[in-house]
Amino acid sequence: MFRQSLLWASCLALLAAPVSGARAQGSAAAPGTSSDAAASKLGAGIEVRTLKNGLKVIVWPDHDIPNVVLYNWFRVGSRNEYPGITGLSHFFEHMMFNGAKKYGAGEFDRVMEANGGANNAFTSEDVTVYMEWFPRSALELIFDLEADRLQHLAFDPKVIESERGVVYSERRSSIDNSTARSLMEQVQASAFVAHPYQFPVIGWPSDIESWRMADLQRYFKTYYAPNNGTLIITGAVTPAEVFALAEKHLQPIPAQPAPEPVRTQEPEQKGERRVVVHKVAQSPLLQLAYHGIAGKDADLEALDLLLRILADGDSSRLHRRLVEEARVAISVDTYFSPGFDPSLVWVMADLPPGGNLSKVEALITEELARVVKDGVTEAELRKARNIAVAGFWRGLETNDGRGYALGAAEVFRGDYRQLFDAPSRFEKVTPDAVRKVAARVFNSQRRTVGWLVPTDEKAATPAAKEAAR
Amino acid sequence: MIAPFTWKAVLGAVLLSALPSAAQGPATAKPSPASRPGSPEKPAAKPSAPSATKPAAQGVTLPKPTTVTLKNGAKLLLVERRDLPLVSFSAWLRGGALGAPAGKEGLAALTAELLQKGAGALDARQFAEAVDGVGGSLDVVPALEAIVINGQFMSRDTGLMVELLSDMLTRPRFDAKELEKTRERLVSEIAAAKDGDPRTLIAAYFQAFHFSGHPYGAPVSGTEASLPGLTRKDVLAYAKNHLGADRLILSVVGDFDAKALAEKLEASLGGWTRAATPAPEAPTTAASKGRRVLLVDKPDASQTYFWIGNTGVSRSDPDRVAVELAETVLGGRFTSLLNTELRVKSGLSYGARATYTLNSRPGPVVISSYTKTESTEKAIDMALDVLSRYRQTGMDDATLSSARSYVLGQFPPTLETGAQVAAKLSELAFFGLDASDVDAFATQVNAATRDSVRAVIQRTLPAPEDLTFVLIGKAADVRDMARKYGAVTEMKISDKRFAPPTTAAKP
Repeated sequence: MFRQSLLWASCLALLAAPVSGARAQGSAAAPGTSSDAAASKLGAGIEVRTLKNGLKVIVWPDHDIPNVVLYNWFRVGSRNEYPGITGLSHFFEHMMFNGAKKYGAGEFDRVMEANGGANNAFTSEDVTVYMEWFPRSALELIFDLEADRLQHLAFDPKVIESERGVVYSERRSSIDNSTARSLMEQVQASAFVAHPYQFPVIGWPSDIESWRMADLQRYFKTYYAPNNGTLIITGAVTPAEVFALAEKHLQPIPAQPAPEPVRTQEPEQKGERRVVVHKVAQSPLLQLAYHGIAGKDADLEALDLLLRILADGDSSRLHRRLVEEARVAISVDTYFSPGFDPSLVWVMADLPPGGNLSKVEALITEELARVVKDGVTEAELRKARNIAVAGFWRGLETNDGRGYALGAAEVFRGDYRQLFDAPSRFEKVTPDAVRKVAARVFNSQRRTVGWLVPTDEKAATPAAKEAAR
Repeated sequence: MIAPFTWKAVLGAVLLSALPSAAQGPATAKPSPASRPGSPEKPAAKPSAPSATKPAAQGVTLPKPTTVTLKNGAKLLLVERRDLPLVSFSAWLRGGALGAPAGKEGLAALTAELLQKGAGALDARQFAEAVDGVGGSLDVVPALEAIVINGQFMSRDTGLMVELLSDMLTRPRFDAKELEKTRERLVSEIAAAKDGDPRTLIAAYFQAFHFSGHPYGAPVSGTEASLPGLTRKDVLAYAKNHLGADRLILSVVGDFDAKALAEKLEASLGGWTRAATPAPEAPTTAASKGRRVLLVDKPDASQTYFWIGNTGVSRSDPDRVAVELAETVLGGRFTSLLNTELRVKSGLSYGARATYTLNSRPGPVVISSYTKTESTEKAIDMALDVLSRYRQTGMDDATLSSARSYVLGQFPPTLETGAQVAAKLSELAFFGLDASDVDAFATQVNAATRDSVRAVIQRTLPAPEDLTFVLIGKAADVRDMARKYGAVTEMKISDKRFAPPTTAAKP
């Protein structure tokens, strides 16, 4: 429950296109007898409209429960940042709840909750996504709330300062007071030397301290423009009523010039990099990060299945080898979150106290070399496919799951309809395709190896410096 | 990499305190409205239906299951649901950690883990292959009062599912080598958890310290001290005494024919014997008097994590709907009093909550948050002040109305999937409750008044003079401050228990 692996599994599912959506869910459904037919039948009621200001609205009606889910995806994340403003996308995620014109500070949440709704949001390297879960009765109100903050967000300096403290507290808990996240931050920062994927989404501490008003205002105008967003509504609605509300409330918001594209490409890595983090801890951690592929890459499904064969479930290769047979790790996992640009493929192991990092690294390296050389078996591939397709179905069981999956397909693949091809894309993956993608990704010259080496308290660096911020 | 959600501070890992409760259902990753990463962090969605302000909004009702009680006492609850080709089940075995003898903390958890490490004709590897191979899922969750097994399979694999489940229950191997490996891994997992975010562990410390001497104080997952002493003999004894047909409540929801499935289950579980001993029952719990503080030293921590509370209410408390409203307003949603003060207004913390843990007997009710080491005292004082004011004044009409709408609006998605319905059916049967817990929820929410909620607040939230504090942080910097709140007991996070030896759980 509290293992490193689960932490990353969560991340995977979050951003992964539907193909990987199964990971965080643990348990799953399984594929239908005729997946494709069933899948396209499922999406039969979906309707799409692009408003005059460029906002695309996708509606998936489903009336099982009297509730609705809204997902609003913006194409902005830490990928759009640079030194000095790292963490700004995530900070902005927070600021979107802090007051606008009609609904002042605190009112967005207060009004939404008083009408039965709840909300949340997340930020990744690539996107910032807002979610709302509410009873059908609150539908128009939700549009009113969204329109207000998208059109008239307030930037109160006092609120900004207070929210900085909140984000700092979040950083302390999610990164600084966690060995796994501390190590991952360092590995990621070392794996990329040019591309902004090197920045932690939550931001470097000194940048958290120094975002300026002008940065926030520019960010809002540039990235929270209707033409940079995609709105998904699922649940107890009709497309016609949603389009009418969207036109009434959101269409008046003016479009903006398209944001500057991210032009930097990561140069090819020419040799292994190594990172060691010393921290007060009992348990060593190992993380291997390989340069991977982009979310639109044709090898995506093959990579997804490969990673499942390696580490999904107690029957997977790495689990068998490291946890059950050699007993050198307490868990092992793989993680990949496909984004707009090629991102990292992670292989991570939690060691027991006193565990031998060299040995675990050697065994994982050996297993990865073996898959590159010999490929995988038909039985392994079948199993991985079943798990993947089961996850696909499971992800479509709820309004929330449908909203997420639809948005991920639209944003990362460029067309929501690709969601429904997922089962057939998995079917098409061959053992040879899996071996080829393994060879493409698992190249030791193109990896960064991270070691978390536990220290005892006496050797610890005083925490006072960070804590004092 | 994902910067987590804006609100979202669940303070407590269900696994270690492991309490399947009303709000949470079985403690694992059950499907929830947000069945993705955020969901564990979201405030648990809570019960109910039509809204106070919105007349006659549709609610949800619990489907009526086909109920079969086998001769050996096993209870089956079956609901056909044909919209997706899936079958989900939730099996609850009464006993859980309560069935472990004193000094053998973690025995139920170890036994539970081993259920899937080889059963019937399959060894551990073959068993895992069987589940993974069809894309199925099986989660075994050791909890305080039950061992819960949740699973989901394709409906075409229903036969396999029944076979695997009945093998786990009736023919576990408890292979010696698997036992040794699992025991070692469980110990390492606790050590590793102590290197992580303290929010995952603080519940275990609170439970152990607050319920010291009561079975509720025995850590469900065991401790680094207790686990190594557990033997195969212990596991076999636990299994004999506490795994048996009369302890089983099994709910299955999905794409199947109920009659045929009932026959199949009867054939595979009908021969299972009863447990050798009666189901354990926890003695009553009561609020403790006075104040006391447990300070857990995590020397490199830059933040202090705290739980402050006492003993609250049971799952079957007649006022549980009012309790839910009270919890929502104090610390169960983003605009709660606690989160408003500690996060929204002051920026001291990423989140602050109030939580009741619901078991057969009253479990903890706590307020919880975290803040940088330097502002620990300020944040705790603020939290105490909120609690104190709330006990005195309760909520106004507008707040009550908002809380009603919120719990009603957030309720339907908690029963959206087959897995959720299965878990709810088992949970209700486990606690001796009926469908009215779901079906009448809306009516009860709407019937709650300011006075009735206020009475519940005063009855169930701790008085300021009677509080248990658990703080995890850098002791060197907060030790002196902590004394202000009561007598301080100190331990290190590297200590191999969750409470100092003197307060370790006793029989």
